[in-house]
Amino acid sequence: MKQFATLAMVGMLWGVLLPAQEPPARKVPSVTMPPVPVASVTRGKANSVELLFRVEPGFHVNSNQPSAEYLIPTSLKLDPPTDIAIGKITYPPGQEMSFAFAPDEKLSVYTGDFSLSVSIRPLASVLPSKYEIRGNLRYQACDNAACYPPKNLPVRFEVKVVKAPPPPRKNPPQSPHAHN
Amino acid sequence: MKRDPVVIIVVAMVVAIMLVFGLNLAHKSKSNAGVQMKDGVAPDFTLQSLDGKTVRLSDFRGKAVLLNFWATWCSPCKIEMPWFVELQKQYGPEGLQVVGVAMDDASTKEIADFAKEMGVNYPVLIGKESVGDAYGGVQFLPENFYIDRNGKVLDRAFGLKGRGEIEDEIKRIVASTAVAQK
Repeated sequence: MKQFATLAMVGMLWGVLLPAQEPPARKVPSVTMPPVPVASVTRGKANSVELLFRVEPGFHVNSNQPSAEYLIPTSLKLDPPTDIAIGKITYPPGQEMSFAFAPDEKLSVYTGDFSLSVSIRPLASVLPSKYEIRGNLRYQACDNAACYPPKNLPVRFEVKVVKAPPPPRKNPPQSPHAHN
Repeated sequence: MKRDPVVIIVVAMVVAIMLVFGLNLAHKSKSNAGVQMKDGVAPDFTLQSLDGKTVRLSDFRGKAVLLNFWATWCSPCKIEMPWFVELQKQYGPEGLQVVGVAMDDASTKEIADFAKEMGVNYPVLIGKESVGDAYGGVQFLPENFYIDRNGKVLDRAFGLKGRGEIEDEIKRIVASTAVAQK
């Protein structure tokens, strides 16, 4: 009888606890930017600086060239200090991936780590020093079943503007008679 | 000291009942966090439709409403839309009304073009953040609310679900009976 009572209690508790369990809460996706080492950029020249971004596991963001017009591309906008010009921003090609919500459709996305290459040209008149460049990475993330509103990730990195190395010295042309 | 097994069973039952009550209360308060729904009634709202009409949720009282929050940038939402078109055709005569609420920054024309491309046969309204907030804050899409003929939210689904699951929910709300308002 005692065993029956124990079993009845365990059974009731089991029956009560199982249906009451809450499904795990959905995580909010994040894209982060690991710290960038200060890049040296030569004034008067175009320099390429790599920026690394990290998409949290389980999420993806659209690439810069998403597979459909209605999708929001990942894009970087930078607001450089005066006299430092931002040139072309090169985005990596997206990974063509299918997801559970559309197994027959390929979407062009970034997952995990991806790097953007930014062309930076300080004017020849810029004083050699460290400069901070700020901006925003706009992205729109999804997981396997839902999409999250577009977000802006603040972007900050430093560049060290250095003088261009002096041009190599040209030796004066030697006289053809020098070795006579 | 020998314990009476009947007493043990009674105590166990009381404990179980208290647990059921407590857990359900916790479950309810957790799942309704942030949702301003009084007695489970879907918050009423007034929004503009794509053709410029003013639409209130309460205009559909007496119908079973599938309230679908979506956006043009949401790929899973795009998967559901053809299902909603079919389900509206199938269950519309039985009293189903699918209502789409577009929660994106796109222009009305862009949303209208998108809806036209998807062959949408139900009203699409231009969403507002305040309406999203009234429904618990639309943090991700799609979000679907299944509202019975009396305006009560019977269930809600976050993220893309299977077509069968959506149809089962629709059957539930369509089967509800409208109670005459006092």
